[in-house]
Amino acid sequence: MIRPMRGGPLQGVRVVELTKVWAGPYTGKLLAFLGAEVIRVESLESLDVTRTYGVADINKAPGFQAVNPQKLSVQIDMKSKGGIALILDLLRKSDVVIENLRPGAVKRLGLGYETIKAAKPDIVFVSMGMHGSEGPLSYQTGYAPCFAALGGLSALVGYEGEPPAGMNVRYADSTYGTAAAYAAVVALMHRRRTGAGQFIDVSAVECMTSMIGDTLMDFALNGTVQTCNGNRHPDMAPHGTYPCREGEWISIAVASDHSWKALAEAMGRPELAQYSHFKTHSDRKAHETQLDRLVSEWTANRDAAELVSELQRRGIAAAKSQSSVDLISDPHLWAREFFLEVRDRDGQSRTIVGPSWKMSRGAAITDAAPRLGEHNAYVLGDILGLSVDEQQKLADAGVTR
Amino acid sequence: MSALSGIKVLELSESVSGEYCAKLLSDFGAEVIKLEKPGRGSPTRSLGPFASRGTEPERSGLFAYLNTGKSSIALDISSDAGTAALNKLLNYVDVVIDDHPAGWLKSVGLDPVTFQNHRPGLVLCSITAYGQSPPDDRIHAEDLNVFHSSGWGYHTPSGAGDSMPPLKGPGRFLPSYESGLEAAMCVVAALYERESSNRGQFIEISKQEVLASRVDYVLGQMVAGDMDVSTKRGAFDLFGPAGIFRCRDGYAYIWMSAPTHWDALGQLLGHPEWMKSFPDRWLERECTPERVAQVRHHIAEWLKTQDKHQAAADAQKLGLTLVAVNNATDLKASPQYAFRGFFAEVDHPILGMKLYPTAPYKLSATPAKIQSPAPLLGQHTEKLTALIDVNGKEHRS
Repeated sequence: MIRPMRGGPLQGVRVVELTKVWAGPYTGKLLAFLGAEVIRVESLESLDVTRTYGVADINKAPGFQAVNPQKLSVQIDMKSKGGIALILDLLRKSDVVIENLRPGAVKRLGLGYETIKAAKPDIVFVSMGMHGSEGPLSYQTGYAPCFAALGGLSALVGYEGEPPAGMNVRYADSTYGTAAAYAAVVALMHRRRTGAGQFIDVSAVECMTSMIGDTLMDFALNGTVQTCNGNRHPDMAPHGTYPCREGEWISIAVASDHSWKALAEAMGRPELAQYSHFKTHSDRKAHETQLDRLVSEWTANRDAAELVSELQRRGIAAAKSQSSVDLISDPHLWAREFFLEVRDRDGQSRTIVGPSWKMSRGAAITDAAPRLGEHNAYVLGDILGLSVDEQQKLADAGVTR
Repeated sequence: MSALSGIKVLELSESVSGEYCAKLLSDFGAEVIKLEKPGRGSPTRSLGPFASRGTEPERSGLFAYLNTGKSSIALDISSDAGTAALNKLLNYVDVVIDDHPAGWLKSVGLDPVTFQNHRPGLVLCSITAYGQSPPDDRIHAEDLNVFHSSGWGYHTPSGAGDSMPPLKGPGRFLPSYESGLEAAMCVVAALYERESSNRGQFIEISKQEVLASRVDYVLGQMVAGDMDVSTKRGAFDLFGPAGIFRCRDGYAYIWMSAPTHWDALGQLLGHPEWMKSFPDRWLERECTPERVAQVRHHIAEWLKTQDKHQAAADAQKLGLTLVAVNNATDLKASPQYAFRGFFAEVDHPILGMKLYPTAPYKLSATPAKIQSPAPLLGQHTEKLTALIDVNGKEHRS
């Protein structure tokens, strides 16, 4: 079996995933979108739960398919000695391994860094843990919203004067996965230039903190502990979301006096820009509640999309607050092929969320997520060089299926 | 030698996404030259947080954070001399990072479509709100607008009432940090390829798409027709008793989805009577709003008598995913952050010695490291001008 050449900057790089759920698979997805050959090692005995959510058929799970396009799957029993030996053989022929299993799990399986390094000295080993792989709190576990809470994000999201409400519950895993992917690519660069692999230890919680680095500078410089403040922004006013017709919302951000003047004109009240309460940025900040009320009263009976167009024509930063219906019908996202068609083994097409980037020589993204063990023959035969008989023996012994 | 030692980067960026991107490259040893306008310098120098000491343009904590490890050259590229110097700089560097609106690069002589004819080895990366060809109604954008066009805004916070405004997310710049990280990943991937092809390329990052792709688990199901789409604010949400609760000394977040979590809660609360009426595996199979409300009520009553870090330690030992809702003070005091060295001392000539947040990944052979404090405006103009006079005369092939 010959794998198609799909191009992309990481073409020729082989990545093995020992991952579950979202963050680790997201790292693999980004590397696959950059052209790497990404192989998920899966095991029926210890399946990724996203293969089973909401469906009876483990090959049709929608969540799994959303995060794992463009990858290969080999099924190897990770609870058997033969299986572990086979995975080490695969790693000998690979460049990167990503793991986000529970703390200590890869070591217990016999797939810790030292073991893999002995088999493949220049491996790039990406270890992902909520708090990283070592340290006084590394035993703790959690899900995405826990990362956001621990990393300092949740405390900053909420309505003024109320307890924090936090980011949307889905936030964290993919950001964490991206930081891991960046580190992996950096390590690949180092390896290409020196021949040396390395161990990468990524902390989900620190990834979150990296998204609010400047608020910690405020603490470092001034001892200020920032708290949630609705939609307030120290450098812009008005700055927020304002109600429109039919329950829709528009986001408006005014960063200069010039832009405020344009907004006042759009509101049909150019004199507002001259009021002593609203003239300068600091005036507007001092009377922001009043300002927001005026803007809200004006937007309330308007159509959000029409209002966005009008404000944009006047040079004002505005965008609709997009619901899930708006998102999947966003003509710009379709025109840019952010939503794109891939095919599964049976030729069935499926729409996926593509990469955020375009490159002069990007990878062709063509394949839907793999069926469980879809690429056993390729991995065992083409990569590991096992004969059909040998592959059959492994299958008979239950090491593969 | 770090992973990107010897790689030369010209930063034309003037806002957070591009400055953060180049900072991430500098952490791994890239030589980053930041081009700034004479006088006020980068616009981020005029944004807070400001230190009480020093004067503008040298007292911005935002600028100090985003520009560690870089050199600054003050150059007016609208002048003839400036254009000539920019050309020499372009001959000298391997990578250019930009985050101006679509169309700007062409105006300074770096047409994304044609630059490779003259500079085939250059990696040129552009970060914009909506890509290089935005429609007329997406020309002007701040991070707030990107956050809301991506879907995160409408669905933040989880569980919000329809009459409450959708929120902006944490801090001011999350969309920019996300996009800077994505750009850095793509740039290094392009450099990796260039090691063998000797060819550069154009990389275009759309901030809207960066953020929308971060919710691929949900959006991917929606666009494939496997999950309902609607105008509901809760369309991304999960159900159950998870949430933020008040403690004696702040807030804690609790996540409950599995029988082990329920059992652990029972142990922590001393197996109270009310829990006995709940059926086995109710969280997965019979998670009704009434049960959720009852559980939330009891968790709230319990946690308001607890301290967040102690409650988290007790719960975690029993397998319950309860964590503190940390603020800046907590992060600075975190034993885990101290163990990993997440905060590093940086000595800035105006701002003094302060603790800066560093990177969330530890690389054993090539650790990310802040090379030097952020530059003063034009600090390296003289040195760099001399250097590019010697090294920037001819196109590198």
